[in-house]
Amino acid sequence: MLLVALSATLGAALAAVLACIPGLHIYNVMAFIVLAAHAQAAAGAPFPIEVLMPLMIGMTVGWSLGGTIPSILLAAPDESALYTVLPGQKFLMAGRGREAVMLTSAGGLVALFILMLVFAPLAPRLVPFAETVMRPHVHWVVWAVICFMLMSEWPKGGRLSLGGWGTFLDGWKTTGSGLLTFLLSGLLGFVLVYRSPVAPEYAFQNLMPAFVGLFTLPWLLLNLVSAVEIPAQQEGEKFGAGWREVLQGGYAGTVGGGFAAFIPVVTGGIGGMLAGHATALRDDRVFLVSQGASRLTYFVGGLLLFFIPGIGLTRGGAAWMLSGLCSPHGYYEYFMAFAAVGLAGGTAFLMLGPLTRGTLWLMQRCGYRPISAVTLGVCVALVLYMTGFMGLIVLAVATGIGLLPVLLGSRRMNCLGVILLPMACNMSGSGPAVAKWLGLL
Amino acid sequence: MKGISHFAIGLAAASCFPAAVRAGAEGNPLYFILAGIFGLLPDTLDFKFIRFLYKSELGVIPDPLRPDAQPIADAVALAVARAHAENRNVNVKLNTIKLAADRWQRYQVRFDVPGRRVCVSYGLVVDTGGNPIRGAVAPVVAEACVPLPCGIEIEYLATTDVDIFDGPVYRMEPTRDGRVRPVFIPWHRNWTHSFVTAFIFGLAGAAIWDAAAGGVIFAAFAAHALADQLGYLGSNLFAPFSRRRTPGLKLMHATWALPNFAAVWLSGLLIFWNLARDTTGGISGMNPLRYVFFAGALPLLAFALMVKEEPLEGPGQGQSASQARES
Repeated sequence: MLLVALSATLGAALAAVLACIPGLHIYNVMAFIVLAAHAQAAAGAPFPIEVLMPLMIGMTVGWSLGGTIPSILLAAPDESALYTVLPGQKFLMAGRGREAVMLTSAGGLVALFILMLVFAPLAPRLVPFAETVMRPHVHWVVWAVICFMLMSEWPKGGRLSLGGWGTFLDGWKTTGSGLLTFLLSGLLGFVLVYRSPVAPEYAFQNLMPAFVGLFTLPWLLLNLVSAVEIPAQQEGEKFGAGWREVLQGGYAGTVGGGFAAFIPVVTGGIGGMLAGHATALRDDRVFLVSQGASRLTYFVGGLLLFFIPGIGLTRGGAAWMLSGLCSPHGYYEYFMAFAAVGLAGGTAFLMLGPLTRGTLWLMQRCGYRPISAVTLGVCVALVLYMTGFMGLIVLAVATGIGLLPVLLGSRRMNCLGVILLPMACNMSGSGPAVAKWLGLL
Repeated sequence: MKGISHFAIGLAAASCFPAAVRAGAEGNPLYFILAGIFGLLPDTLDFKFIRFLYKSELGVIPDPLRPDAQPIADAVALAVARAHAENRNVNVKLNTIKLAADRWQRYQVRFDVPGRRVCVSYGLVVDTGGNPIRGAVAPVVAEACVPLPCGIEIEYLATTDVDIFDGPVYRMEPTRDGRVRPVFIPWHRNWTHSFVTAFIFGLAGAAIWDAAAGGVIFAAFAAHALADQLGYLGSNLFAPFSRRRTPGLKLMHATWALPNFAAVWLSGLLIFWNLARDTTGGISGMNPLRYVFFAGALPLLAFALMVKEEPLEGPGQGQSASQARES
């Protein structure tokens, strides 16, 4: 038991710190642990399951909570946190960056409690049945999500005019750029899935350069170009939301994140978006709480599905990696996983305060622009290290696409076309035909 | 209701068609895609096409640097006067006041029916979510009231808050009894929210695909109009055979969290029930009462305890233009 506790705590602490490095996805780090575990197993001395499972769970929890910091303070999110950037930036520019991190983390904490108190006792009974019913229908759910995503983009132009075709064209600038972004991202996704330029030895990191380019780099570039100055941040642990806001946002986010965790290909960012729409969230504070909850539920809830006795659902990268190393058999692993989640959650949550203060101190000491430049450098270096030169090419293309919504004011979520479009086509069985039509096969 | 509610209701409607569920299980997503698209299509047509093409004769662009309510009130009064004098419809667009990227100056337009005047007053500075911005100082601007040459017949609400994105259009419509009726966003919820249009789309769907597709399209499109009737504005349910919107039941506002969440949640439950019914052995283990109570009532009750909705307005009180926009 002590081994489990130590591994989970260590994993959470490590991941919370690593989460502050923009562009570095915890799955990239986990992949190296998995390689090490395979090497150990081949050498006849495998890592004990009581170390490996809690360590990976701890890392997932720590990263889910810690990832709030770069998303809000550095505007460098991964895809699951992309919705926190705009409200986070608003808080940051009002000197309330710390409060924004706390709100988002509070959402994560609510999600953690819901997972432990509601999901844990109910999941073994409900999830297998739900999985049986939904399995043949997942493909149309993904298509429905795509349709809603594209149809719900609000046209921002066309103001200050008396109507007519000129107004129409102006109004459609944002909507059109959103559609274009989705299409281009989808094409990039097809290329990466069917004929990736990334060398085979880096194949397990195939999507990494695209994700960094689509979601992380555009804002960093904008920070550099716009020479934005960050005002002094408010001191103290001010928390601008009451219990009602925290619960509402947390509940909504957990539902959205749960949907994303259960349905393959649908990511935490989409779950957060759906939750925001479904619960009519208009308040930035509640919205941030919901995003924190959605992100944690997506990553941690998705991983916990793997431990449900009898079904072993693999949702998300962590579960896929673990499935290659071990397979949980019963309630021992199930409850061990929840114990690890609880411990890791507590550890990571306690670390958020010092990590936020440290990041803010660094930002104010070095300036936002230099920090953005260094962050950009770290991202590019990571991509080069993990995927080689061709990864940089993919990164450049993805950044070009990722800049479209930033510059034209459409939704950044459309960049998720990179996985949604090829995967939805594959699920419906039309993927190879489309790839052939595109000349990729 | 919000877009996602209509979308989910559309999917739920499709799940009631066994042909759609069977096709879905066999890898054909067509019926559910059609349901989602046509569930949301009425608002897509209104807000992404018709809104931009709808022309206004008069427009007000308030100066963000020199806040003044008088020109706004004058423009509204001019539209009313012109409609009354020339006995024709006159459209006036009230533009929003954008102060910064996420900062808008709210103002309120109020028709004082007994006093026969229109009054405009400046309100709070709000963000794009319509929430007041902490610490933002609203300008001190005197309320401007302009007398009207005729009586006013209020069809929707007497007061409108103009705040974010695109401002509302009013169509000043002369009535037979010599008054003028201000029709709020007249381009919204007309033929796009009509059962007749739903029927035509359904027929087209049946001709292009099959009867089930036609049924799904009709059900999703018509369900949109029905769901909107729960609110204030109502829809022109039988356009082109009727000319005016049938007033809504005034049970909720489109932006309220609970009805939207309930619509999405209950749609999800209905979809799951219908899919389970088609799954071998799926429905046999499900007790409908338990299902409704544990999966429906309890989660909704929990959510209801968390949210705090704005109160329903009484007759003649206001609604934000942005609230109507989301309806």
